[in-house]
Amino acid sequence: MRVLLDELMVNYPYFAAMILFIIGAFTVLTRSNLFKKLIGINIMESAIFLMFIAAGNIRGGAVPILDEANPQTVCINPLPSALMLTGIVVSVSVTAFALALIIRLHQSYGTTDARRIAELRKRWHANEGNH
Amino acid sequence: MRLRTLPMLLILLLVAYVVVVAVTELPPYGIAGNPVHNQVSQRYIESAWEETGVLNMITAVVLDYRAYDTMFETIVLFTAVLAVIITLKTTEREGDGK
Repeated sequence: MRVLLDELMVNYPYFAAMILFIIGAFTVLTRSNLFKKLIGINIMESAIFLMFIAAGNIRGGAVPILDEANPQTVCINPLPSALMLTGIVVSVSVTAFALALIIRLHQSYGTTDARRIAELRKRWHANEGNH
Repeated sequence: MRLRTLPMLLILLLVAYVVVVAVTELPPYGIAGNPVHNQVSQRYIESAWEETGVLNMITAVVLDYRAYDTMFETIVLFTAVLAVIITLKTTEREGDGK
């Protein structure tokens, strides 16, 4: 247990990212409001970004911009930062499309609650069967 | 609400335990000798200036070494904008029909 806690203290950025991911997954699974589900997905994405950026960091490393005055300084890894730029674009795209779909659902059903929408759909199908 | 929350909480606690154990197995944070800082990033850091003429290495990676990635990224963004416009525009037409 002691060793486990020491390891967690050394790797605290990864630990924070994992906790954020769990919070986001819990939000997605337990909230029925679609906006809250979307916020949960965004929290999970932020956790992944934090994980990758933390993996590319070096303690005491410089920003990965070439400094001609002293070229021998240790730079942090530029690759995770560049890849997470792509990830942020995908995350923004997914969020925008999800918000558009929620607007459409609200126009059709008058609510943004996933459970209520499922009830309305069930009732609608039952009425359709009676005719 | 409570009945649905409890099993989810149990499953997520299990997942949390697994990922915490995984975090303890990861190489220590912020050390230059980690496997993340392998020859790929070394190559970018050492020869980005000679090969691309850009001082900022992240810009060199995004816009020169991985330019195709950036191009298809803009296509993803464009497709998302297109999808949002199509999704919202159908509604207006239905509203006019009613």
